[in-house]
Amino acid sequence: MELNINKTDDVTTVKFIGRLDTPSAQEITKDLEPVMNDASGTIVMDCSELTYISSSGLRIFLSLRKAAATKGGNVIVRSISDDVRQVFMMTGFLNLFQIEA
Amino acid sequence: MIMKDTDTSECRLILHNDIRQIPQLAGFVEAIARKASLDQSLAMSLNLALEEAVTNVILYAYPAGSDGLVDIEAVIRTGSIEFIVSDSGKPFDPTKTPPPDIDASLEERRIGGLGIHLVRTIMDSVVYRRRCGKNYLTMTKNI
Repeated sequence: MELNINKTDDVTTVKFIGRLDTPSAQEITKDLEPVMNDASGTIVMDCSELTYISSSGLRIFLSLRKAAATKGGNVIVRSISDDVRQVFMMTGFLNLFQIEA
Repeated sequence: MIMKDTDTSECRLILHNDIRQIPQLAGFVEAIARKASLDQSLAMSLNLALEEAVTNVILYAYPAGSDGLVDIEAVIRTGSIEFIVSDSGKPFDPTKTPPPDIDASLEERRIGGLGIHLVRTIMDSVVYRRRCGKNYLTMTKNI
């Protein structure tokens, strides 16, 4: 899994490229710490190249969402594939996130 | 591929209890998907269910720092695919885990507990057995 983090004035874009399985989730947790700690703005999770997600990846999404809620920020999940959307649906995540095409 | 009612085909993968071995499941499921002519979306779901079951074993079955194995068998039949995940770790029945409240609000939503929920949601039957000092989790998907 490759992770691209891009921060402009008020928007942090996190692009996930590849498969977010359990070992990948463990690897990227540290890279996401700054985003987690500064979750007061808008965080865009760009999932256009996210091909797979398991519960460890969902845990990261929910942790960020909770951090943003606490700090007055916002999380937008953008361009999820049908397969990833299916996983969001099975776990009730569609109700927790603002999903954009 | 045309399979008669009596036709079965088996595949096996043995992993160490090292989380870095999880990506091997993708290739394993891909080979099964080819054999059983499954579409890509179903293959992804099966990969996910298998990852969750195997991750549980890798992270919790054996004492930290000790070496242990996870044995994964797949049986392809006409109309179903069965995965049997077994280990020699401590007894643990994941089917007894209470389901997460997936309708909870963001504030009340607990982080975690989704692994076995995904296994149950994706598979048509999930059965746990403890036999001769081993855990067996049998997960079946009708296809």
